[in-house]
Formats: sequence, C-alpha cells, structure tokens
Amino acid sequence: MSSPPNYQSSSHQKGEAQEHLDEMTCMLYLERQLERTRALEVSAHTQGCDSCRILLRAMERESRLLTRAMLEEEEPLPGRIAAFQERVHRSMQWVWMVVFGLSATAVYAMYIAYIEPWEQRLETAGFGGTNLVSLLIFQSAFWKGWQSMISLVEVLALLTAAGIAMAFLRRRIRRGSAVALVLTGFCAAFAVPPPAVATEVRKGQIAEVRKDESIKGNVYLSGEHIEVEGTVDGDVYAAGKDIEIDGHVTGDLISVGRTVWIRGQVDGNVRSVGNAVNVIGKVGKNVSFFGDTTRIDEKGAVDGSVMMFGSDVTIEGRLGRDVLFMGDRVTVHGTVGGSIDEKGAALEIGSTAQIDGPIRFEGENEPAVPSGAKLASPIQFTKHVHKREEVGRTSAFWAGVLVVAFAVYGMMLFLVTPSFARESTHAAENIGASLGLGLLVFFGVLIGSFLAIVTLVGLFVGFSTLFVWIIAVYAAQPVVGALLGQWILGRTNETWPLIGRMILGVFLIRMATLLPHGWVIKLAVVFWGLGAISLALYRRFQPPAPVQVPYVPPPSAPLTPLTPAGGAAAV
Amino acid sequence: MDVQKPGRMNAVETRESGAIVARARAGDAEAWGELYREFAPAIFRFCRRALPTREDAEDATMEIFMKIRDKLDQYDATRPFTSWLYRVAANHCWDMLRRRKIRQDKETDDLETLPLEHPDPNQLDQLIEKRTSEEVRKALDKLGSRARMALVLRYYSDMSYDEIADSLGVRRAFVGVVLLRARHELRQALEGTGTMAAGAAR
Repeated sequence: MSSPPNYQSSSHQKGEAQEHLDEMTCMLYLERQLERTRALEVSAHTQGCDSCRILLRAMERESRLLTRAMLEEEEPLPGRIAAFQERVHRSMQWVWMVVFGLSATAVYAMYIAYIEPWEQRLETAGFGGTNLVSLLIFQSAFWKGWQSMISLVEVLALLTAAGIAMAFLRRRIRRGSAVALVLTGFCAAFAVPPPAVATEVRKGQIAEVRKDESIKGNVYLSGEHIEVEGTVDGDVYAAGKDIEIDGHVTGDLISVGRTVWIRGQVDGNVRSVGNAVNVIGKVGKNVSFFGDTTRIDEKGAVDGSVMMFGSDVTIEGRLGRDVLFMGDRVTVHGTVGGSIDEKGAALEIGSTAQIDGPIRFEGENEPAVPSGAKLASPIQFTKHVHKREEVGRTSAFWAGVLVVAFAVYGMMLFLVTPSFARESTHAAENIGASLGLGLLVFFGVLIGSFLAIVTLVGLFVGFSTLFVWIIAVYAAQPVVGALLGQWILGRTNETWPLIGRMILGVFLIRMATLLPHGWVIKLAVVFWGLGAISLALYRRFQPPAPVQVPYVPPPSAPLTPLTPAGGAAAV
Repeated sequence: MDVQKPGRMNAVETRESGAIVARARAGDAEAWGELYREFAPAIFRFCRRALPTREDAEDATMEIFMKIRDKLDQYDATRPFTSWLYRVAANHCWDMLRRRKIRQDKETDDLETLPLEHPDPNQLDQLIEKRTSEEVRKALDKLGSRARMALVLRYYSDMSYDEIADSLGVRRAFVGVVLLRARHELRQALEGTGTMAAGAAR
C-alpha cells in the first residue's frame, strides 16, 4: 500500500562552497520519511555543517513545541460532552418508547379498519355472542375519540410523513434527538383528542376531587391517597396507593395503584393494574384488571364483563356479562349475566349463585355445584393437562421436523446472503431496538401490503411486500437462533460456524416454544428477529458516511540510520 | 520526545482498550460508556484544535462518537483503536469544514510550487525559543483549515503520512509539502510579519 516517499529533496545553494540541506529534506529526515541512503547522506552532512545542524535542531524543537501546545489541556471538558453519554442513552430510550407507542397505534388501527367491521357484520348476522377480549379491549373506548379520529390511512400517512421528516432532519441537523423529536411530535398529535376538552392535573399527598366539585373533562390524579368524591364528566387517570371513587365518573377509570375502591359510580370502564379492585358501587361497562383480587360486593354491580389476570375474582353482587379469568380462583355467590371462562386452579359456586351463560373451566378439579345454585347449563370442565404430558411422541416428532425445517431454511438464507445474515445477527444484539422495530414492522408492513392489495394501489407491490414480509418473519427464528448460538459458543465471522450456531439456537428456541405459554416466546422471537432484519436493512441503505473508508495501514517507514532526535543530537 | 502523543498507546493500554472495544462491539452499554469516558477528552481536544470554534468542537465530538458507535463493527480489531478513532474524527472534521466551504480553494492548486530553501536557522531557532504553548495555539487559530488540520493530524494524532494523505484527500507525495507549508504559515502567524517564513515560502 505504502510507497517510498518520492520528494525531490536536494541540497540547496549548489555551487557555493558549502551546500546546505533544504528545509523539506530536514523535515522528512526528522520524520523518518527519507530513504535509507538519503538519510545517511543527511546524517553525514550534518556532522560537518553547523547551519544545517542548527536548522535540524530548530525544526525538531518546532515539532515538539507544536505537540506540546496541542496536547496541553488548557480548558476543562465541557459539561455537555461529559453528560452526553447519559443523554444519548436516555434519548434512545425515548425513541423506542415512541416506536412502541406507534406500534400500538398501528395495531389499534388495524382493528378499527378490519376486525371491528367484520365483527359487527357477524353480530348482525347473529354470530356475535360475547367475544369478550375484543369487547373489553377494543369496543369500549380505551381512549375516547380514537374511533372517530384514526383511520388506517391516516396512521400510515402520518408514519410515512414521520419517516420522511426523520430522514430529512437527520441529514440537516445531524442529531439523533431529531428522530425523537419528530416521533414524539407525531405521537403528541395522535394523543390529543379531537374535541377541546379541558384536562385537570392534580398531584399531592392527597389528590382529590371534592364533594362539591364538578369537573368537565379528564382528570389526572397522582398521590399517595386519591379520592374522587365529586363528579368528573370525563375520564379519571389515577396513580397512587389507595384510589377511592365515591363520587361519579362519567368516563373511564384508568388506574395504577395498590387498592381501588369504587363506592360511587363509574359509567365507563375500569382498567387497572395493582393489588385489588373492590366494587361496592356501580361500574357501567367492564372491569379489566391485572393484579391480585377483584371483588364485586353484594351491593356492587358491574354492567359489563370482568377480565382479569391475577389471583382471585369474587362475585357477590351482580355482573351483567362475562368473566374471563386466568389465575387461581373464581368464586361466585351473586349473579353473572353471561359466561364464565376460567383457566385456573379452582371455581367455587355458592348456593346463592346464578349464572346465565355457559361455564367453561379448565383446572385441577371439577367444581361442585350446590343445590341452590342456578346454572343455565352444566359446567364444561376440562382437566388441566400439563404441557409436558402433551409432548407425546407425535408432537415430539413434529417439533423435530420443525427444527429441521427452520434450520434448513436458515441455512439456505445464510448461504445466499452470508454478509447480510451476519449483519442481522449483529443487529439482534440490540434487543430493545430490535423488539420495538420488529413490532412496528410486523404490523406496519402487514397492514401496508393489505392496503396496497385491497385499494388496488398496486396488487403487485402489495403481494411482493407480503411475500418479503413472510420470508422475513420466518427468517426471524434463524437470526435470533444465530445470536443465541453465538452467546453459547462465542462470536464468529465465518459462514459455516455461524450456521452451526444458528442450528443450535433454532433448536433451543423450538424447545422453548414447547414450554407452557411457549407461543409468547415464539412471538417475541419473531418480533426480535424481524426487528433485527429490518435494522440491518436500514443500516444497509444508510448513505455511506465518510468514516467508512477502510483502514489504511501505516506506511512501512523507511529506515533511517539515526532516530530524528539522535540525528539532531549527534550534530 | 517526552510527551506521549494520543495516537500512540503503550502495549498495556492497547490491550485494555481492545478488551473494552470488544465488549462495546458486543453491545455492552457499560463498555461503551467506558470507551466514551476514556477517549472523549482526547477527541474533544482534537476537534478543538482542528475546528474554528469551541461550539463546533463540542458538536463534532458528540457526532463523532455517534458515528463511532454506529460503525464500531467496521473497526479492524487487529489495528490500534486510537488510529481508527482519529481517522474517523479527522474525516468528520474535514467533512464538516468542507460542507461549510471553509476550505479554501487556493489551497488545492499551489501544492507543487513550494521552493526548496534553506532558511536562516538562527532566526528560526530564536523564534521557537521565545514562543509559549499558548502563543502557538493562538497562532494555530489563524491558520488556514488545511494547514491547521495537517499539523493536528501529524503532531497531535501522530498519524502517518499515508493516513494524512487519505484524510486530507491529497497525494501522499504532497503531504510533506502540506506540512511544511503549514509550518511556514504558523511561523508567519507567530511572527506577525512573516519574515521568518519569507525566505522559504517566497
């Protein structure tokens, strides 16, 4: 790579009694850039020439002076540079939170555009029934105003606009924060509900809406103790230890806290995460709760359904519709207007219980039905079977087949595009980013391709995108597998060793999916791998930065007979 | 030479940095933080010397580290990390100056016209003798972009002539010319009048 220097260095003032070295020769000599023979000549010359010796020495001192002047720390490191590392970390976290937010938006938009209309049609045709999950999560207003505001096209248009703005700003101001800024801006635009509703924010040890108060619009309450004794004509968002609703909330109650007491009335839904929800008053729609216990007191009433993931549900009062429960125990002494779907340890039915819909219970023991209890139909009991027992010979065979299928598929991809496979595996190391992006791409591209097909924007484009999407979704497991394999057997840049690691990883993933709730692992792996592939693709299509110049090895410096310092000092 | 240049690390430092870099490449955020804390001061000083203002240097330092983070997997681990780091920094700063059109066009076309002279050595000796580091830094600020960048690359980052040629986009054979011309400019700035450099440059 390096070639010997070819400066036409020469001695100066030819014809005079003493020929002096020119400045260039001196500098190149000091910096060891002269060829050996020339360096020897210079060295010999300086033995007898005072002028050149002084020049050489002066130039060497000049070099030292320069280095010293540049190395001196005359000013401290600016604060913003010292804090930069922390800031980048934080800003990136925001970016991925926003990406998650957008993904959720896309999911919701897909529901609004496709699933809900179908559901309504089915319901009209008499096939509706109680589709509890969709009823609880979607049909009621989780966020008010979304249904009227968001359409799929709007979401996609905004996402596209965000993408363009990001690309533009990144080039212009070259700040990672621009990405966060744009996305946050769009999210903020999403989140603002269309009608101009006043929003109250109250904080403090005790955050309350007093008895004589009536608030129009949503209220955000945070504090150790939260009390709503007055009227809120909107939603209540509450975060605190104890949350008590004694007054009237016309919208939803969305809360995070230890205990929720509803003694008053909530016309909308109660969505809560915490320790316990106690309904002594009235809830107009549904209760969905992730926590320990839900209890509907004998005076309490919930007109909708109860969906809960947690430990216990106790119904002593009246529940208008269904129970969907995964956890430990359901106890019914009151009235359930709809069905009960339980997957848990026990179902206890009291003698005063009345259940108007079907009861499906998957658990350890078949529940006893006391004589006084009124059930619309007998309990459909399924003995809980541990997944491990299910893995019989047949399923083990199919699991094996799937491992081989994925391994072969991965091997094919890794052999066709070895460098891209390596890049994707590398990108998968960034777990948070991959998962977030994977979620977005999974739903975004799916919706986009369907839209292209349905709206005839481009049948070909739609199907091609869908095809690529399917390839990528199936490639997700090999990519994540390769990373897992690398974690176990160490990193490699060779193709075949990487394939070996991929096969090991795929085997482990497939085994993990056989565990109880293995589908969650499968889904996470799909998002993770898909995100990694998308990240690798994104990096590929980034404009080449000037830093991508390959490393040039330092020149094999020509040997000089003397070190620069020695050369000067010897004079 | 008693002052250790940032471009040169001893064997122990190289091994330690190598280990940190390897961890950072594997996605270890903590290692990345270490890398940043270790090298940010040197890169900031590099930018401070190469760019016209302090604000530019601060911006550039952060941008360089963003690039380093993105491109870490392109780093050839068999080479010294600092060399690669300074290459990235040099390319970034030079690109920044180019985008702002601070680089002067005249700098590109008169490379081959530097006459070979033997200046008065005593005069140069006296000039160097009298100057302090601070005066040299002030003089550096007055230089043209390329002259200053060349001096920074050579005498701060300890880059080889090949690396300098690559970073500045000149032929390797002219790196010496660029450096010597930069020294002349510096002497002129130090003197105020340019009597020292006149003999050589004109």
